[in-house]
Amino acid sequence: MVKQILIIPSIFFLIIVSIFFYLLIIDRNPSEIPSNLINKTIPFFETESLFKNKKFISSEEFGNEIVLVNFFATWCKPCRDEHGYIKKFQSKEKLRIIGINYKDDPEKANAWLKDLGNPYSDVPLDKNGRIAIDWGVYGIPETFVISSDGIIKYRHVGPITKKIYKKINLLIATLKLKK
Amino acid sequence: MINKIFVTLVSFLFFFNLLNISYAVEPNEIMKNKDHEIRARNISKNVRCMICQNQSIDESNAPLAKDLRVLIRNEIKKGKSDDEIYFFLTERYGDFILLKPPLKLNTLALWFLPFVFLVVGVLILFFYNKKYRKV
Repeated sequence: MVKQILIIPSIFFLIIVSIFFYLLIIDRNPSEIPSNLINKTIPFFETESLFKNKKFISSEEFGNEIVLVNFFATWCKPCRDEHGYIKKFQSKEKLRIIGINYKDDPEKANAWLKDLGNPYSDVPLDKNGRIAIDWGVYGIPETFVISSDGIIKYRHVGPITKKIYKKINLLIATLKLKK
Repeated sequence: MINKIFVTLVSFLFFFNLLNISYAVEPNEIMKNKDHEIRARNISKNVRCMICQNQSIDESNAPLAKDLRVLIRNEIKKGKSDDEIYFFLTERYGDFILLKPPLKLNTLALWFLPFVFLVVGVLILFFYNKKYRKV
């Protein structure tokens, strides 16, 4: 009887080990935090624009079509790495992309876009990082998918990779189907 | 003599320890109103730095932590209550930004499972001993 009871802890131990093993092998990034803004309307903001001489007012810019919002800065190396994919979203997928320039120098941003190509339809400036806080941004680059009714559907932290590029395209395809 | 050495040693340790308290608040961030500053420090200690993730923004030197410290102080100046500030932060960053998880339906297991395990453990010990004595 006593010996039989002793089997229980070892079974329990095996279960725990298999849970840990499962968490180790599945594809996940434990430091990536899900956005609290998913399925919520985009936070309102009003700021200067890099190209245009008029103010960028968020309520006038969203709500007509699917939009990609990309937080970037010229001092951020991963932003440079993902720029090819951002351009592809614009050229191949014909998406409207708004690039929020985070804590940056507008002149440098202009030069950076001239050098690498500009996929953005508009670049609102977030000089002190206050807009990013409203979006719950904690590490740039960050990319948001906004549905045609102005609701945040997806957030990716870090540079866009081939896998994420495919994932976002799939999501956009399903968003278009629902409409 | 021993007494003197002891006192110097203790004061040395005390001094060293004081220097060793890690915080990242910069002099120009500190508020003039002492009560407000105490409140700001208190909130900052409960708010996670989203970049370092195991530090509070009070201890972290990350730029975002500094932005949030300044933001908290501005909100206090505007007359916001502590709860309003916590709400402001969790609305944007989720409950993860709080170092202490709030008691909610989906965190019940997190809060009470340890006690359940404790009771189960005591019960196992109790019945195991009972049987052992019989044998």
